[in-house]
Amino acid sequence: MVFVILYFALLLLLSCGAAYYNQRSAFLLLFSLTLVSLVLAIIGGIPALRFVAIAAGMLLAAGMMSYAFREFLTALASDEMAKELRTAPLTAAFGMFVIFIVAVMGIFAPAIAPHGEAEIISQAFAPPDNNMLLGADQLGRDMFSRIIYGARNTVALALCGTVLAFILGAMAGLLAATKGGFFDGTMGRIADVIMSIPSLIFALLMLSIFGGSLAAPSTSAWLLFGFAVIVGTLFLAAAAYSVLSWIIGAAIVVGVSFAFALAFTSVFDASEVILILVVAVIYSPRVFRLTRAVAGNVVVMDYIEAAKLRGEKNWYLIRREILPNSTAPLVAEFGLEFCFVFLLIAGLSFLGLGIQPPTADWGSMVRENATLISFGEITPLIPAAAIALLTVAVNFVVDWMLHRSSGLKE
Amino acid sequence: MSLKKTDVLLKIRDLKIQGYSDETWVDIIKGVDLTLHRGEVMGLIGESGAGKSTIGAAAMGYARDGTRIVEGSSIEFDGIELTTSTEGEKRALRGSRIAYVAQSAAASFNPAHKLIDQHTEAPVQYRIKKRLEAQEDAIELYERLRLPNPGEIGFRYPHQVSGGQLQRAMTAMAMSCRPDLIIFDEPTTALDVTTQIEVLAAIRDIVDQFNTAAIYITHDLAVVAQMADTIKVLLKGEEVEEAPTDQMLENPQEDYTKSLWAVRSFTSPQKHRPTDGTPPLISVKNVDASYSNGPKILDDVSFDIYEGMTVAVVGESGSGKSTTARVITGLLPPSEGEVLFKGEPFPAYYKDRSKDQLRQCQMIYQMADTALNPKVQISEIIGRPAQFYSGLKGTALKTRVDELLDLIELEPSKYYNRYPPELSGGQKQRIGIARALAAEPSFIVCDEVTSALDQLVAEGILRLLDRLQNELNLAYMFITHDLATVRSIADEVVVMQNGQVVEQGPKDDMFTPPHHPYTDLLLSSVPEMDPNWLTTLLEERGVDNIGDAAAAKIDPDDDKVEGTQA
Amino acid sequence: MGDILTLVGKRLGLGLIILLVISLIIFFMVELLPGDIAQAVLGQSATPENLAALRREMGLDQPAIVRYLAWLSEAITLDFGSSIVTDARVTEIIGERFMNTLFLAAYAAVIAVPVSIILGVIVALLRNSIFDRVANVISLSFISSPEFFLGYILILYFAVKWGMFPAIASLSEGMTFLELLQRTFLPALTLVLVVMAHMMRMTRAAIINLLASPYIEMARLKGAPPWKVIVKHALPNAWAPIINVVALNLAYLITGVVLVEVVFVYPGIGQALVDAVSKRDFPVVQACCLIFAATFILLNLAADVGAILTNPRLRHPK
Repeated sequence: MVFVILYFALLLLLSCGAAYYNQRSAFLLLFSLTLVSLVLAIIGGIPALRFVAIAAGMLLAAGMMSYAFREFLTALASDEMAKELRTAPLTAAFGMFVIFIVAVMGIFAPAIAPHGEAEIISQAFAPPDNNMLLGADQLGRDMFSRIIYGARNTVALALCGTVLAFILGAMAGLLAATKGGFFDGTMGRIADVIMSIPSLIFALLMLSIFGGSLAAPSTSAWLLFGFAVIVGTLFLAAAAYSVLSWIIGAAIVVGVSFAFALAFTSVFDASEVILILVVAVIYSPRVFRLTRAVAGNVVVMDYIEAAKLRGEKNWYLIRREILPNSTAPLVAEFGLEFCFVFLLIAGLSFLGLGIQPPTADWGSMVRENATLISFGEITPLIPAAAIALLTVAVNFVVDWMLHRSSGLKE
Repeated sequence: MSLKKTDVLLKIRDLKIQGYSDETWVDIIKGVDLTLHRGEVMGLIGESGAGKSTIGAAAMGYARDGTRIVEGSSIEFDGIELTTSTEGEKRALRGSRIAYVAQSAAASFNPAHKLIDQHTEAPVQYRIKKRLEAQEDAIELYERLRLPNPGEIGFRYPHQVSGGQLQRAMTAMAMSCRPDLIIFDEPTTALDVTTQIEVLAAIRDIVDQFNTAAIYITHDLAVVAQMADTIKVLLKGEEVEEAPTDQMLENPQEDYTKSLWAVRSFTSPQKHRPTDGTPPLISVKNVDASYSNGPKILDDVSFDIYEGMTVAVVGESGSGKSTTARVITGLLPPSEGEVLFKGEPFPAYYKDRSKDQLRQCQMIYQMADTALNPKVQISEIIGRPAQFYSGLKGTALKTRVDELLDLIELEPSKYYNRYPPELSGGQKQRIGIARALAAEPSFIVCDEVTSALDQLVAEGILRLLDRLQNELNLAYMFITHDLATVRSIADEVVVMQNGQVVEQGPKDDMFTPPHHPYTDLLLSSVPEMDPNWLTTLLEERGVDNIGDAAAAKIDPDDDKVEGTQA
Repeated sequence: MGDILTLVGKRLGLGLIILLVISLIIFFMVELLPGDIAQAVLGQSATPENLAALRREMGLDQPAIVRYLAWLSEAITLDFGSSIVTDARVTEIIGERFMNTLFLAAYAAVIAVPVSIILGVIVALLRNSIFDRVANVISLSFISSPEFFLGYILILYFAVKWGMFPAIASLSEGMTFLELLQRTFLPALTLVLVVMAHMMRMTRAAIINLLASPYIEMARLKGAPPWKVIVKHALPNAWAPIINVVALNLAYLITGVVLVEVVFVYPGIGQALVDAVSKRDFPVVQACCLIFAATFILLNLAADVGAILTNPRLRHPK
């Protein structure tokens, strides 16, 4: 009862204060919260109020954390960056904070995690205790440690997939915008076709053929090599201008692709390589479309015409004239694509078709522990919440960047 | 046009308007007073950024998104204080007692409705007329505004009607409730000169007939001289001076106004073709061109440009003057004919030209904003051609860039490391010139280089170009629609219409009759400072012999006629 | 009108061609399988004789293009062959499930489309207010949440804690329509939440874009009241973007449906696809993919055709 009285007293006091100091939006927010709580208190009783209070408290804590983090970044950054950062809304600061935490978690996973990734230390579904912060999973492994390792595995895969999708899509988009004509048309058609298959469905189709537990290391290496050669050819098409440079370039491309395939297969296992390639193929048309549109807006500028008439080669046009004017939207798009890729990989893992056990991964952890839900346990929701949190964080930052770049245009 | 000085319609006092940019409110209008009487037409003029359009909207009690009228301002329309009235009260005035004519009629008519439905919307809403009455009235107004097929044109959709006609239809729409005041916001800026004259004549006529008060916003002095009873000059959100039109034209008080009024004092002496038989530098021979199998844009275009001379190519939008430039630079290979350089054929496509051929022919663009890469330093913008063609590096390159900056009268140490967005319009245009010079060309295409600039800055650019021509023996092809520019800088003139050359010759000949009928129409359509110019012209040519109607009658092969104007 | 018909015809033709290309991709992708289908069915330990027999049985001894044409001509009559795992006809496996999936998607769409468009318009009108910002944050959060996260939260509260709806959306014979609605409420709600956020944001963007056009300012300066500005001046031009938003999101629903069906163990085609993928039952995978892709293309086609039909410039050519 005391809680209820205190709760409403505080809210009313705050709303009156906001009204008195003419803080219109703050007042509206606080007072509507008061009204909503009133309704909730009648329907749900004290527990509902407690829930609202905890949620509000968490929001407040997140807000303060974001504020402090923004100030922290501003203090560290150079003058120009600091000026930009000061315009960032709290949501963006929150996003940066979460990204920072996840990055630290991923990079220093072995140091942070109290137990090994696949180490069985207790019986299945053991409740939380001093040793295991979040209890054990269906095999008796420490949930907390697996979430830390999951940050490393899931994010690394999504990042690699996004980078590959970006290199392929952006290179093709820039080249299509610069070259125009037949090349542009063909690329556009290919992108149209790939994009008319829903991404999850296309991923399932490809995984049913190459992926899963049956993925063969040799297949994955060859596919990687093929992918690298395609990207390399695109680079070559942009940079080479004589027969000789084509020949030398081709040799370099083959060599680099080979090294790249070797390096990649030594870091990731076969099913992971396939997963990365699948998302890269699915999302590169989207990157292509956007890059083509952004670069298309730059290509019609007179300074591009001036450079073409000067006799500059495609590679110079892309590197010095088009790219510097496309970075802002492309960086934002990278964030957006990362979200898509991340959600797709999480979804596939949830379906049991993505990252294979015993590798810790947020999506498959939800699936493995899903049965706990029917006992009213929230444990399986934690990795799912982690996925949502990171995606929201990236989206918040992207939202701010998009807002800023569109604001500059006006 | 007699003024009833007693009857004040609009009284604006201490108007301050702020705009939101960079997270703060900045003053756009810094305390302007304005008094407009019934039936009076006031011209608001000023350069870009003077705040003319913002004041126009404020006269309706309207602040655009991202702007706000500061407390303490007063806008009184016929005794009603607009700054304190409610939205509903202000709305009741708009359309019925104050109407608005926007700059771009094509964008301001709703594409989803017929013209006449948009016309009758206000009178029906205010219950001034029934729909059918309002339609009949619309047709009558269309007739008064001399729109072709007045009975039928209103039943078309906006995209089915041409720009000049749309602008008149919008004036008719503004008239639909017979308002006391109409705001004309640059109504002819987007139109060609020959079309503009029709619209001007129609607007002036109808405002006169109904004795409507008007605020006429424009940056064109000659236009405002035709339309306004009084002129108010604005500069950066502040009033410079106000006076009746005659007085303002004859005897401006402020230095700023005088500088605007000053007739272009600059004229470059006319040069003549060499007589020793040297071939022309650039020779366009019987060129036809079209964009990817579309209709023919250029039809048998031929003219020569000699070393060290300026050829002005004049024509309205769609006449093919920019396309000609694209053919010469090699961006658009012609379907017939060829371009010769010093008597030798120039490869048709720029990719087939050698570095040296590309170097010879440079370009300066109209919009300096899009002509310079905003993310590249000035030193690199200018330095790159020098590096690319002459292979300069290190200190030699830096010396060359400094030399070029000196040449365009910008202090090298100050501009070397800056980026284009930090410069003013005129400075950017100078950088564009320097980039062209860096290639050490013999020929430069100047595409409307001064039309985006304010008048004084434009004159500075013309002087610079003339000086450079004399020092470096450059040939210019000057694409423009502005005949004043032609008068000041050209040696020879080529007049184009619908992709054909209708007349060409030395400048002195071109500005004295006899003219080709199209040249005559073009010359006579350019507004002049004389306030009676429009009246005289209409008397001489007749209302049916101006604008698009007249242009349509002309056959490119017509004989020359004795002109009315020179 | 002739112009419109040609445009629509061209668009339909393009859709057909894309569908054809996709059928090629779907078919020949499986040909890329290391080894072949027979090998995949029998595993590594199969004897050569068994392999050869199965290949003959499946017609694998014929050239790929012949098999593609046979597959395609059967697919057009909705016959996708038989499963290589259970031997049942593919049409039987997925036929009823497809109807179930359509029902779930329609259920979600009926709620999501009107609500999100209305919300989107409201938020667009209140842009830059505190409500707009809160709506922005909330919708971003929903977009960022994986479907299974929302699904399990709903199960945890509505099914386990409060017992209002069943956690498993199983269907049985002889259910009343109301029962059906109640059983499938949670999966539908999950889909609604995700799609609504997307749709609301896109509607908002489309409307704001529209409200910035000069003819809207002109309408305001003609003294039109706000409702009239929206209804008479903005709406007739908003159809194309709104149709586009709806179609795009219905297409998005199709992808979302797969995960939601798995979470709620709903007997839909998505569930069948996931099972088939993990069992490598290629005829079923191919059939499901083709059906999903066809629906997706159809929706995009509908959006484009809708945009063409509502464009005044095309409806009233010069």
